[in-house]
Amino acid sequence: MKTKITLMAAALLTGSALTATAVNAQDETSIATVVKIAGIQWFNRMEEGVKQYAEDNGVNAFQVGPAQADPQQQAALIEDMIAQGVDALAVVPMSPEALEPVLGRAMEQGITVITHEAAAQQNTHYDIEAFRNEDFGANLMEQLATCMGGEGEYAVFVGSLTSQTHNQWVDGAIAHQEANYPNMTLVGDKNETFDDAQNAYQKAQEVLRAFPNVKGMQGSASTDVAGIGLAIEERGMEEATCVFGTSLPSIAGQYLETGAVDGIGFWDPSVAGYAMNKLATMVMNGEEVTDGMDLGLEGYESVALEGKVIYGQAWVNVNKDNMADYPF
Amino acid sequence: MSGLLPQGFWTRNETLVAVVIILFCIVATLSDPLFFSATTLTDLLRASIVLGILAVAAMLVLISGGIDVSFTAIAVFAMYTTTVFTLAVAPELPWFVIFALSIGIGACLGAINGIFIAGFGLPTLIVTLGTLSVFRGFLLTFVGSQRISALPPEMRDFSRMMITRGTTEAGNFYALPWAFAALVFVVVLTWFILHKTMLGRSIFAIGGSVESARRIGINVRATQFFVYVYVGALAGLAGIIHGAMGRMADPFSLVGLELSVIAAVVLGGARLIGGYGTITGTLLGVALIVLVQNSLIVVGIPSTWQSVTIGLLILLGTGLPAWQAKRAAARAA
Amino acid sequence: MAAATHDALVDMKGVTKRYGGVTALDGVDFTVHAGEAVCLAGENGSGKSTLIKILSGVEQPTAGTISINGTQHTNLNPRVSAAAGVMVIFQDFSLFPNMSVAENIAFSTQLGEHRTLFDLSRARKLAQSVLERIGVDIALDARVESLPVAHKQLVAICRALASEARLIIMDEPTTALTEREVRSLLAIIRKLKEEGVAVLFVSHKLAEVLEVSEKVFVLRNGKKVAEGPAAEFDAASLTRHMTGRDVPEAPPSAVTEGSKTLLDVENLTKVGAFADVSFALKAGEVLGVSGLLGSGRTSLAKALFGLVAPDSGTIRLDGEAFALGDPIAAASAGIGYVPEDRLTEGLFLTQSIARNIAVGRLDAHERRGFLDLGALMSEATDWLTRLKVKAPDPQAPVRSLSGGNQQRVALARWLSRAPRVLVLNGPSVGVDVGSKADIHDIIRDLARSGIGVIVISDDLPELLATCHRILVMKAGRVVDEIAGNSVTEDELAHRLAS
Repeated sequence: MKTKITLMAAALLTGSALTATAVNAQDETSIATVVKIAGIQWFNRMEEGVKQYAEDNGVNAFQVGPAQADPQQQAALIEDMIAQGVDALAVVPMSPEALEPVLGRAMEQGITVITHEAAAQQNTHYDIEAFRNEDFGANLMEQLATCMGGEGEYAVFVGSLTSQTHNQWVDGAIAHQEANYPNMTLVGDKNETFDDAQNAYQKAQEVLRAFPNVKGMQGSASTDVAGIGLAIEERGMEEATCVFGTSLPSIAGQYLETGAVDGIGFWDPSVAGYAMNKLATMVMNGEEVTDGMDLGLEGYESVALEGKVIYGQAWVNVNKDNMADYPF
Repeated sequence: MSGLLPQGFWTRNETLVAVVIILFCIVATLSDPLFFSATTLTDLLRASIVLGILAVAAMLVLISGGIDVSFTAIAVFAMYTTTVFTLAVAPELPWFVIFALSIGIGACLGAINGIFIAGFGLPTLIVTLGTLSVFRGFLLTFVGSQRISALPPEMRDFSRMMITRGTTEAGNFYALPWAFAALVFVVVLTWFILHKTMLGRSIFAIGGSVESARRIGINVRATQFFVYVYVGALAGLAGIIHGAMGRMADPFSLVGLELSVIAAVVLGGARLIGGYGTITGTLLGVALIVLVQNSLIVVGIPSTWQSVTIGLLILLGTGLPAWQAKRAAARAA
Repeated sequence: MAAATHDALVDMKGVTKRYGGVTALDGVDFTVHAGEAVCLAGENGSGKSTLIKILSGVEQPTAGTISINGTQHTNLNPRVSAAAGVMVIFQDFSLFPNMSVAENIAFSTQLGEHRTLFDLSRARKLAQSVLERIGVDIALDARVESLPVAHKQLVAICRALASEARLIIMDEPTTALTEREVRSLLAIIRKLKEEGVAVLFVSHKLAEVLEVSEKVFVLRNGKKVAEGPAAEFDAASLTRHMTGRDVPEAPPSAVTEGSKTLLDVENLTKVGAFADVSFALKAGEVLGVSGLLGSGRTSLAKALFGLVAPDSGTIRLDGEAFALGDPIAAASAGIGYVPEDRLTEGLFLTQSIARNIAVGRLDAHERRGFLDLGALMSEATDWLTRLKVKAPDPQAPVRSLSGGNQQRVALARWLSRAPRVLVLNGPSVGVDVGSKADIHDIIRDLARSGIGVIVISDDLPELLATCHRILVMKAGRVVDEIAGNSVTEDELAHRLAS
């Protein structure tokens, strides 16, 4: 009996505490951006966008993330945010499936939910993607083809054969080549690198041995071009080959400088962070997102809407000349 | 069969693996004449450095009657921590000091395994499964989880030091880095310890029968402790070479490789029950795994089949001798 | 040399050892002289292992003194004991199966010298000289795992000699050896004695080593109960001293007149193992099958239970043939089999006694797909009492039992299935004399209750004590049939060897 009373009292206290925060929160709209993991360069860059949004619009927009890349910790963190009474959540899910229940509860409580890098997420108002993966792959291929002069052999690399994103990039690239550059030929299978630079290096060596005439290579994992670049550099083939792929300046920088890697593509997380927060505000204000709409952000000038998923064309192409602009 | 060959030559794992390697090379050369070249050889030798050092380490543990799955975590921990420390404190350190640092960190982590296994007498698989997670988790949580490509300059320079480099007549580039000498050194040192010292023979003895070893007065605990510290040190060396040669300190790399390494060792004839294992066999096992991992394109096998191929080789390589032994036993009965 | 010194090599006086409240050794005096072979006899639990442990320095005595070579040791530890030349050869030999013969012989010597480097050529030289010393030829580079048991034992002896053993203690030295191997072991022991090395046999199967021994000590319940020149003892008197009672091995009572044929084996053949084996077994009859190692007796025993698939022939039980080479068919037809190596083939050592018995009865206690555990366990406990298994607790692991009691548990499992025919392969291998007599009692009881029993054994007294008829096998064929009550042990031995 005594325990029951204590429990009820505790519940009452919590309830009032919740109300109190909620009342506080009414003063200022609060948007929590919850990322996969705190403290790594990628999400530090995203935080810049979130802070920029807060500054531009005078809202309480902030970013949090778990200390470890763990879906459970991320779910717990979202529970915390719900308890604090935030108005909107912008989430980059570690594992979309694992977050469905907690995001569902958030929406039931009237919290606006926006996701990023989770096109299959059910419990979300909108999921915003920087680009359609096939388009991004085609964009890389366009640069590769230009570099190769529209002819010659090329090979493709994926971090893992089971990675949907990597496969979509590579499939988009191959489709683009087949449609536009009939004089180029894909040699070999998709080469699997297990997201490891050393493996990518060894695979690149193998490709160079098996196909001595290969002129181009396209990577998918951020470490792919680093491994390929090392193999190219060791063989002194910087001039003779074209290497493009998804990566970041912090990983591929040294090979961009030497020309072993010719260009990399990625999306700018600061813009994505800004876009998520902007989208959250639009949903809270009851604004509709329509196909072809201009979000007023670089790469999101004419977004495509498919169900709940919004696609931009927000890729960034970086080479030796503009790499200094992206210090992450 | 022939009087010149040692007893049981044809039923040895070494022979089987060597035959498979030769067959594989013949098939590869037939399907692509370019396969048989200095380029292929140096590429494969280079790919076998890290795997080879780790395999020698794993073999030592198997001989002593244990199994270690934590050495990849030790390798990546030692490599990444050394890199972070060097960059923060003294980026201009010469490469051999950086290497010594990594080896030292590896040895310390190996000593932790040693304390649990030799000191408290806990099962080796349980301990190393535990430390695998602990070392890796500690690394990613407290040391860092970012890939670092701006390595200390001496590490980058190390990866550019070549024993030989040049261009073949066919115009293909080949190069063998000095890091390969590390594998040679490890092989010679380990061979010497295993076959020429009382310590090495004690490792074999413990693997053969712990109880008998105790009865004749071998210091079982000290010997086991040495094994895990030595393995840790080798893992530290393999880790820093991996980082230097890949020109990137990647805290997510290496872990996951442990089963391939153990597979190479088992293919080479080491037994999981302890007491058996040869360096020749282990190197042949490494050669076969590296060959398969790096030549399937040439032979025309899709990447998706790579793990299937390796799995089949392990079943064949370990199953065939076991089956032969069973048949021999059945005949004797 | 043996005559040169009359001073005792080992002299233990009033040695007592207590573990908590249990007295394992009680004021035992014990001496061994150089060049002497001594038998230390006693059943399991008599204190003989404790005595070895004290002598080799593994355990410290509670009271009493030990002198080795005239030096009195108050604090004997394994190293001191070994340095004084006391070497123990355990039943498992403590060898390294993965290492060469030379290394096994010489390793502990080099270890004792505190060397850092291992010197293989010196090891080979030492091993060679020791092997020559006892006059045997074993390849120095052979791996010990590839050697037959007898050679492993010789390697263990050589290792003791390489470490300059003055006294070699051999624990159960003859258990795993064939008659011929025992004879060659005895020849080597004689040679060692001539060189002044003393040998202490610790065993409960001592008849074989009596002929090379000078002295016999018998321990019972921690006390010395008999001591004297070996010539004064024979198998029967040793047994009497060890057990403290006469164990009369009465021959089995005759098979009931007109009892029907239970098992009928016709022309059973397995190429390479046995050929054209035919015999009939009546209800209540005990049939012995004997023969030297390799005569095909074990393969035949296994074939009866389907563990070996015969190439041709038939086995009928009550006139009904059943599928050959199928243990399940054999078991459901009513044949039970207790293997020789019950430790590895028959019992789940780490499981409880009750479970080991119950495992054969799982199907009988099934209730709608579930096990009736209560009935299962009470049946198991009932068998423990009926077979007089000395177990502290039916839930204790089988491993904790003595050899004799383990054998009873294996028997209990089969008896609980109520078999018609029971095949016992070496029923008393590795059990002590007292238990052996009990097992023979059980076999006779089983036969009286109408079960047909087949005893596969090379233990002649055992065959005579239990069997109505004995089949002698040689090179896979039945070469002789002997009525159990018509021969003496010597005659039987003669007919087996001829």
